[in-house]
Amino acid sequence: MASRDEIFEWVSRVLREEFEYDDEIRLESHLIDDLDLDSIDAIDMTVRLEEKTGLSFNENDLKSIRTIRDVVDLIDGRL
Amino acid sequence: MANRILRAWRVVGTGISFSVFGIAGLLLSLVVFPVTRLVVRDPVEREIRNQYSVHLTFRLFVGLMQALGVVVVDVLHGERLAQRGQIVVANHPTLIDIVVLGSLMPQADCVVKKEAWSNPFLRGAVTATGYLPNDTGDALVEACAERLRAGRTLVLFPEGTRSPKGGIGPFRRGFAHVALASQRPLRTVVIRADPPALMRGQPWYDVPERRLRLSLDCGAVLDPAQVAPDAPTRGTAVRKVSSALRDFYAKTLQTPGS
Repeated sequence: MASRDEIFEWVSRVLREEFEYDDEIRLESHLIDDLDLDSIDAIDMTVRLEEKTGLSFNENDLKSIRTIRDVVDLIDGRL
Repeated sequence: MANRILRAWRVVGTGISFSVFGIAGLLLSLVVFPVTRLVVRDPVEREIRNQYSVHLTFRLFVGLMQALGVVVVDVLHGERLAQRGQIVVANHPTLIDIVVLGSLMPQADCVVKKEAWSNPFLRGAVTATGYLPNDTGDALVEACAERLRAGRTLVLFPEGTRSPKGGIGPFRRGFAHVALASQRPLRTVVIRADPPALMRGQPWYDVPERRLRLSLDCGAVLDPAQVAPDAPTRGTAVRKVSSALRDFYAKTLQTPGS
């Protein structure tokens, strides 16, 4: 059982490694407006998070994702 | 006084040009494309033929606008755009950029707003030419890469919409994904509109004080493999390619053209 802090750490690490972000990633960061992700980045991020967590996400899961907090909530709710 | 008359003439000339263009488009959809459909069996060959018909229409339009004195088009190294298997990228100052680019390209695959496929006036044209709908994600990237691998040439505007006045807008990274997936060169075209005209949100009849001079510099090639040789992930590679190209445009557009 991973804590929310740990999940947040996974998500930030995936984003830093996958897209080389230097800027601070916060729970409130908006994936499109703040982090400038596009639809293909979202796919790459999802694949990495699936590998990390062993979960699998479908399109419906991802539809409502807007911020890092939404990503953490999604994973937290499944683990 | 003379200036006002000339300007009024350019409004009329622009109107005539756009009307002829509209009629030519209608003829393509109602006559040329249906005939090609009957005569050419092979779907790929049909797309290429129809793209050539579009090219001729664009040439007609550009020639007409110049003959009517509405615009002067200056092209440097236009022959480079006819090369096969490359991605032609350009900034997008005016409404007619794609028409001028297309007038130099006997074959060009274009990415078009997907709404065109549900528009009764455009559906015929976008299907006949095999243009690609701007879906998001991997499917479009792969569709573009496949055309390039078949030796076809693709035109993309990295900004995805018209440029801000005199400058360059933020880039969408789709073109970089296409370049990296296909490993094909990006052919850079710098378009300058002097004075700025036919901008986003500007009606066609709002013609500039002076005759519009559109200059196209079909310049260097950017090789995606050289820009991002050892990027660890595709997310970092596309960002490198995208920002390299955007830097090139930002810098080039700061200096006035020849």
